[in-house]
Amino acid sequence: MNGNGSVELNATVEQVWAKILDPEVLAECMMGCKELVLVEDGKYRADLAVGVAAVKGKYDATIQLADVIERKSYKLIVRGEGAPGFVEAEGLIELAPGEDGSTTLTYTYTAEVGGKVASIGQRMLGGVAKLLIADFFKKLKKHVEKEQKTA
Amino acid sequence: METKQIGKPMKRVEDARLTSGQGSFIEDMSPLPHIHHAAILRSPYPHARIKAIRTQAAEEMPGVKGVVTGQDVAACTNPFPVGVTASVHYYSLAVDKVRYVGEPVAVVVAKNRYLAEDALEKIEVEYEPLPAVVEIEQALHPESPLLHEQVGSNIANHRHFSYGDPDKAFREADVVIKHKFAFPKYSATPVETYGVIASYQSSDDSLTIWSNFHGPFTLQSVMAAALRIDSNRLRILIPKDVGGSYGIKSGVYPYMVLMGVVSKKLGLPVKWIEDRQEHLMASSSGTDRVTWIEAAVKRDGTVTGLRMKMVDSVGAYVRAPEPACLYRTHSNTTGAYRIEHLQMETIAVMTNKSPTGLIRGYGGQQLYFPLERIMQMVATKLGLDPAEVLRKNLLGKEEFPYQTPSGGIYDSGDYKSAFDKLIGMVGYEEFRQRQKEARQKGKLLGIGLACIVEPSGSNMGYITVALTPEERSKSLPKSGCAEGATVSIDPMGGISVRISTAPTGQGHETVAAQIVAEVLGVDPRTVKVIAEMDTLTSPWSVASGSYSSRFAPIGSSAVYQAAGKVREKLLRIAADQLGCSPDQLEMKGGKVALRNDPAKQVSLRRLVGSAHWNPQGLPVGTEPGIHETAFYTIPTAQPPDEQDRVNGSAAYGFVADAVVVEVDAATGDVKILNYCTVHDAGVLLNPLIADGQIMGGLAHGLGGALYEELAYDKNGQFLSGSFMDYLCPTATEMPPVTIGHIETPSPLTPLGAKGLGEGNTMSAPVVIANAVADALAEWDVTVDTLPLSPNRVWSWIQQAKKKKEEYA
Repeated sequence: MNGNGSVELNATVEQVWAKILDPEVLAECMMGCKELVLVEDGKYRADLAVGVAAVKGKYDATIQLADVIERKSYKLIVRGEGAPGFVEAEGLIELAPGEDGSTTLTYTYTAEVGGKVASIGQRMLGGVAKLLIADFFKKLKKHVEKEQKTA
Repeated sequence: METKQIGKPMKRVEDARLTSGQGSFIEDMSPLPHIHHAAILRSPYPHARIKAIRTQAAEEMPGVKGVVTGQDVAACTNPFPVGVTASVHYYSLAVDKVRYVGEPVAVVVAKNRYLAEDALEKIEVEYEPLPAVVEIEQALHPESPLLHEQVGSNIANHRHFSYGDPDKAFREADVVIKHKFAFPKYSATPVETYGVIASYQSSDDSLTIWSNFHGPFTLQSVMAAALRIDSNRLRILIPKDVGGSYGIKSGVYPYMVLMGVVSKKLGLPVKWIEDRQEHLMASSSGTDRVTWIEAAVKRDGTVTGLRMKMVDSVGAYVRAPEPACLYRTHSNTTGAYRIEHLQMETIAVMTNKSPTGLIRGYGGQQLYFPLERIMQMVATKLGLDPAEVLRKNLLGKEEFPYQTPSGGIYDSGDYKSAFDKLIGMVGYEEFRQRQKEARQKGKLLGIGLACIVEPSGSNMGYITVALTPEERSKSLPKSGCAEGATVSIDPMGGISVRISTAPTGQGHETVAAQIVAEVLGVDPRTVKVIAEMDTLTSPWSVASGSYSSRFAPIGSSAVYQAAGKVREKLLRIAADQLGCSPDQLEMKGGKVALRNDPAKQVSLRRLVGSAHWNPQGLPVGTEPGIHETAFYTIPTAQPPDEQDRVNGSAAYGFVADAVVVEVDAATGDVKILNYCTVHDAGVLLNPLIADGQIMGGLAHGLGGALYEELAYDKNGQFLSGSFMDYLCPTATEMPPVTIGHIETPSPLTPLGAKGLGEGNTMSAPVVIANAVADALAEWDVTVDTLPLSPNRVWSWIQQAKKKKEEYA
């Protein structure tokens, strides 16, 4: 499964960059994630609770930031395992400055799932992935732009 | 009272209890106190090394009694024996590696199923994922990842066969027609899933297992060997009611062994009931098969020779009785036709999918899909009518008994009469006119035909064709298809019949009662049949069980013979009392009377009474009591010979199908307008049950044709784990079906009967494929895989349209 998309953020590249590296912000934007616990540089552990169709459950996940190019791009690698099966996803997030101090964030992702979540939930997976990602960027946008207003 | 009972459409004696909630299924049983409940942790990976399993957190949960892992199983069981030389170590839990999604990895036992399921989540398994092998042709590739390193390839079994002079047939052929066909992996989906109750008793190292297993009871020895237990210390009990199987429940045996190990390790009786997701993901299934087929054909449509390369995927482990799917139809590879030259290559490969086993039709649907498709392609290629080509090649009535090149002995048949009856029933000639008119209106109508031979009553010897004659000669020859039955009469005259055919809903109790009633001249409703099977007390053989449609040819014959022994004894006693010879007597209406002087008579009850109450009054040499067991087998069920010829089944029935479909070119949807089927299963023992079996078999075949597939993605992830994605036909999908019969008695079975429960499962996929191919004739679409889902048919039409446009 793979996909891509982009969002326009009304903030500068520097401001966006700071937000998308902040584990608290990331945790708040990820549906079903309470907190990210730093385990080593650029690598976090998290409990993700996600439901795909009838397959609901918790995944013990690691979330890793890799290939970090300051204020430009990074890779987000998510590996989760739990009773419903496993999820392995990789996303590339890139920032580009817009004309009026805004930022264009583009992303591409690939994901593989296995176990029960694949055998029962596969027909819903594409939709669920899109929903999770859309929700993530909606929340991120809110975060980034709320900060802008209060600043 | 009428004396004729066999062949009457008697209503099933089982139905009163089943329709009033009084059936007794495995889940209803609680044969012991303190039963605990098991849940199974399964692999989410198609192929991975198990680096560690941590169970402590699960073991510490409240209500949990213990956890069993692959290490425990490897320590106290042997790998399951299997009839191939490849060294495949198959255990009831994964050891070191997992090889398919859903493979059992650990078992938790707790006070109830809820606690056990919760505790599964606390088990941590560290996996190191490995690349998976999913497709058959990928598995054949020498560079593909290995499932079992010690085997050295993914090939579990490989054989070559040549019968007649195939090279000559192909050299002299006017035309050679060849194609590759792929048959999908699909399943049987009984309403009731697997269930096991196991109880280990340390005092005599014995294991008692209740399960909805139905044989073949060759697997009792496989289980005993795996468990390292004396076979008479492994007692298997089958409940009287099993909620359907269609073959698949023979695959419960690894779980019987697993629960035996669990009960032994934890010192508790345990119960495990499979859930639907487990059943679809990991129970068992039919094999998927790729067949390369070539037909040597004369210009007039006569097929003189066949070359077939058949490759079955048996899933992650070759598991007994596999690779039998490759060989079950070995004797009838040439189908209903006079084809004398045959060359075959058979291969079983292992892939990262669930292990396979029996399902209704076992091997038949995989064989007839390429065979009957190629027969239609022969007609198309030569510009002949398919009906004409089939008729030309069908065996004639005068040719029976007919020996096939691969050793099958077709006991009886009148294929052409059955086929002509079918052609009349479906209105073949009128249809062609209707089809023309429909095409002018832009409607795609098609008709498909298929003629198949339906083998029944498997000869245990056929499975050994997986081995070469040299390999076979190293052990005792295997043959036969024996079944046992006991008929007894108690002191008050109550007749009971004990059978070992482990019925799963086919009405064996009814037919056994009819047979015994007719032989003893009583009302069938007074005969009590005990279908519960118990390996310590039932009369059984390695071949016992419910599979290969063996009740009609074999099981019923054992009942008939046991009843015959009782009759003979009663007549002997009566002759003594009436002062005549037994052949002057007749038995009917609960009495024995002199045929020529009916006033001289004695009641059955009185005769039975003497055998029990007054043994001293019996004629000299007569044993007291009325309790007779008979075992029946068929003399033609011989071991394979040096040339690899084998008569794999006791009897061979015939099925001719004609199907009319309409294909919606815009959506690819296939609608069945008419399904006609003519059967020749010899003498019908109960026509009502026979037609029920035909409808059920047809529904299963319809699923294979249009809906059902256990789908995996390219990585080996399983994609059809619920009835949302694994589509089964329901009542509303059943097309109008017309059933016809002709009865050519089998000369080999005492009642002349043959099996008929699987024919349409074998024929429906291909006859529907032939009809769809006929409907799409103008697009030149080759229907070479299944199921014929709308998206598949639609894609074929799109491709064909594109091709046409490119040429235009």
